Amino acid sequence: MKAIENWIQKTKPNFEKGGKYEKWLPIYESFETFLHVPGNVTLKGSHVRDAIDLKRALIIVIFALVPALLFGMYNVGSLYYTSIGQDYTMWCALGYGFLKVLPLIVVSYVVGLGIEFTFCYIRGHEISEGYLVSGLIIPMIVPVDIPLWELAIAVAFAVIIGKEAFGGTGMNIVNPALLARAFLFFAYPGNMSGSSVWVHSSDVATVDGFSGETILGQLNAGTPVDAIHSVGANSQLSVCDLFVGNYAGCVGETSVIAILIGAVILLYTGIASYRIMLSVFAGGFLMGLAMNAIAPEGNMVMNFPAFQHLLIGGFAFGAVFMATDPVTAAQTNVGKWIYGFLIGAFAILIRCLNPAYPEGMMLAILLMNVFAPLIDHMVVQANIKRRLKRAKVTNA
Amino acid sequence: MDLLNLFVKSIFIDNMVFAFFLGMCSFIAVSKNVSTAAGLGLAVTFVLTVTVPIDYMLDKYVLQAGALTWLSDSFADVDLSFLSFIIFIAVIASFVQLVEMVVEKFAPALYSSLGIFLPLIAVNCAILGASLFMQQRGYETLGEATVFGFGSGVGWFLAIVGIAAINEKIKYSHVPPALKGVGITFIVTGLMGVAFMSFMGIKL
Repeated sequence: MKAIENWIQKTKPNFEKGGKYEKWLPIYESFETFLHVPGNVTLKGSHVRDAIDLKRALIIVIFALVPALLFGMYNVGSLYYTSIGQDYTMWCALGYGFLKVLPLIVVSYVVGLGIEFTFCYIRGHEISEGYLVSGLIIPMIVPVDIPLWELAIAVAFAVIIGKEAFGGTGMNIVNPALLARAFLFFAYPGNMSGSSVWVHSSDVATVDGFSGETILGQLNAGTPVDAIHSVGANSQLSVCDLFVGNYAGCVGETSVIAILIGAVILLYTGIASYRIMLSVFAGGFLMGLAMNAIAPEGNMVMNFPAFQHLLIGGFAFGAVFMATDPVTAAQTNVGKWIYGFLIGAFAILIRCLNPAYPEGMMLAILLMNVFAPLIDHMVVQANIKRRLKRAKVTNA
Repeated sequence: MDLLNLFVKSIFIDNMVFAFFLGMCSFIAVSKNVSTAAGLGLAVTFVLTVTVPIDYMLDKYVLQAGALTWLSDSFADVDLSFLSFIIFIAVIASFVQLVEMVVEKFAPALYSSLGIFLPLIAVNCAILGASLFMQQRGYETLGEATVFGFGSGVGWFLAIVGIAAINEKIKYSHVPPALKGVGITFIVTGLMGVAFMSFMGIKL
């Protein structure tokens, strides 16, 4: 520790104004704050002392993502071994999944941070840690077999168009991770949907009757509700299995339990808004009930129980980690309830009514990201009107 | 029920801005703040709601092949549909004049903040587009034409109010100088288009 500090003391003057490497200051500073806490204090103006800063808030989100990520890795390995009909231990599956998911994480971070560093270098603004979270979420919301170059292009698109064009962390209007997924979905639909992408495939032949279809995919194909199954041929899924999440899907989205652990961390530390989380689930549940009520015979997605709709696909992951993104969500408290409710409702609506997209969560959140500023505007205007009225009444 | 479906469809699925990218010039130019945008949106909605049914009547009783038979049977082979563009534009322009006079009289502040873009509604492609869509898709009743015009207007209103709220928010962002103004508005429009993709493919 002492050695690092000394080294920083020695090299710092080179990077400050007038130094040899003045232009590299943002990049240098980001590494400095990454390695140790700098002794900077505010010189003038208001002094707010708070232990939590952007970096700490984002680190907590990363901790909250870890359970879902670990389960995702285990799930990748476990489904792979099931698909080739081989016995496996837990560690074995976890190790295999780790090796499969690691390249996704590395590509996402290298491309995303590379672009972010370049922008900071050119524009001379500070590097903030915003990408650390997006960079971890992106590998968790893609199928495990996504080609790495496609992932790299999607990350580049999301970071440049979705974030840096607006001025970097905290300025964007849509969630960069979701934008990356939407880009992949529309640009390379073959690698983002269907029955063959969700479970890692290799040269080894799969067992007979194997299908790597997601639950929503199965429902869309007309599988009856009581016959949806995991990739292990004919083991039918119970509600409990839906909670555990050992079935096909994007890397991090399947296990509701692991996601709920993350949700508890986020809510306990106050990083995520409980208003948004609750109202997303409420909106989804109510819309699910409405769909159940009007569902025609034989439409499996609409007949799927409302409660279980919240457990499958990306619903829980989206509700906990993406809808609550403080930058792109509504900022006012009333606005947050409306915003969350509409996300949940639209997600189930798109799932049920739009045969083109089996998964509605991604597009529902993107849609509400776009309308969040309008919701805020309405809430603020309504507030102004109400208080004006009150002022008039007391004056009269 | 069919009318309700058509209404929802013309707001979300066939949104004038995000599905067809019509009416872009005023959409880009008058989206600096929400109240002005809402004013223009209302004006466009009104003009659409009135002109589409009128154009529908004109199309049905004057322009289509054999439409004039109600006058005399000898007009059975008269086809005036080549006049559609000019007739539709004439109807639209006259209604825009009306709207302009009403706005100037009753909302002078809005009138001055909209400036040239209020009379320019006359050449707003979303409005001529709606009349032409009405003709091309062959809506069968006056009710359908009215609902389609109103729904398209509401969709356009929603789009411009949405982008105005976003523009108010990103006023405080460090947008690169080269992208400030119109550039970033185009990017935002694209991103909103991606979000509206969620409705593409819904069959109503």
